[in-house]
Amino acid sequence: MATGDYVGFGVITVCSISIKCYNPYLCHRVVDGLCGQQPPTRADYSSTWTLEEWTELNNSLISLFRLAVYNNSSDEKVVAVLSSVGNSHTDAVLSVLRARREEIHTALLNRTNSISFATLQDFDWQLKLAISSDKMASLHIPLLSLGLSVKENGILRPVAMEMDREELNMLLGSLDAANKVEITLHLNCKQIFGITGNESITICGGTSA
Amino acid sequence: MRFRFCGDLDCPDWVLAEISTLARLSSVKMKLLCAQVLKDLLGEGIDFDKVTKLTADAKFESGDIKAGVAVLSFIFSSAAKYDVDSESLSSELQQLGLPKEHTTALCKSYEDKHSVLQDRLRATSLRLGRLEGVSWRVDYTLSSSELQEVNEPLIKLKLQCQGAMPGSTETKVFSISADKFRVLLAELKQAQAMMNALQ
Repeated sequence: MATGDYVGFGVITVCSISIKCYNPYLCHRVVDGLCGQQPPTRADYSSTWTLEEWTELNNSLISLFRLAVYNNSSDEKVVAVLSSVGNSHTDAVLSVLRARREEIHTALLNRTNSISFATLQDFDWQLKLAISSDKMASLHIPLLSLGLSVKENGILRPVAMEMDREELNMLLGSLDAANKVEITLHLNCKQIFGITGNESITICGGTSA
Repeated sequence: MRFRFCGDLDCPDWVLAEISTLARLSSVKMKLLCAQVLKDLLGEGIDFDKVTKLTADAKFESGDIKAGVAVLSFIFSSAAKYDVDSESLSSELQQLGLPKEHTTALCKSYEDKHSVLQDRLRATSLRLGRLEGVSWRVDYTLSSSELQEVNEPLIKLKLQCQGAMPGSTETKVFSISADKFRVLLAELKQAQAMMNALQ
């Protein structure tokens, strides 16, 4: 999406024209879609809007919610924009926006984090005790299996690894160090930095076996 | 008959047969040959020229050398695998017909390297995706095309794991949101505590 401002709100003019019968359920469904859940389907509204109207309405509602959260716009600003295009359903749209602003924010944050090429989606672990092997009849080594689901170019790829005590300590040492930096950075940056440009601050570290 | 160094099973016939080959060596040469085989088992590499020289007196042919090295490898690795002490190994080898001086030489070498050999066997036991290295980076995202004001840390991790092929390394790079990162860290610490409680 282009870095929108309210000049770009031209798109939502369609919204005002197209809402023949306003349906708060529809707005919620649109937000659902924005947050990665089931979006509204054309079939449910085929009697109300033509395909073209439906697409435009859907897109403009998505843009509206996204831009409102993108800019962290106040309610007044959204009302101003909606009324400037003659939309009479401002209260209803606002109620959905108010209720779900946090959720949309989280979804956009997730999208921001997904801009990098691979992101961790999920992980599972399993603690095992290796009892015996072909080399040693009695092993008794605790092993941690860590399964990561990494999303790469939209495809989930499994990553599996197995760690003994030393390797787990090494991993946790690194993660701890990163965590410390993350906590202090989070506190300091909120105070120090303004919100300009697509900058990022980087701190690196690492360990090898 | 069952032998402890064979995992309480019968001694394989080929081992039984080649014990007489070993008996052809002098006990001193036997000790030196044991040292070479143990080196091989510990991953330090065997010196075949030395082995050939050691066995020249006993007129070993290449087949005999192979058999001698194989049988010693079997005895050492199997005894270490089943954690047999050198005294038991000594009495079992004598039951199999290895002369006493040879047995003493072999068991002395075994006793010296017993724990090192077990460590080596433990370390070389099958492992899948051994973690070899971790690198990290913490970014602080200020703004993005999705959200004007982000102000959230983003953690990038690079994990190097052992690949399926020996000696190969698979590298995975991915980023984790701060929330997910905290969950990952907390859960891994939980796992670590459980792992430490196992001993």
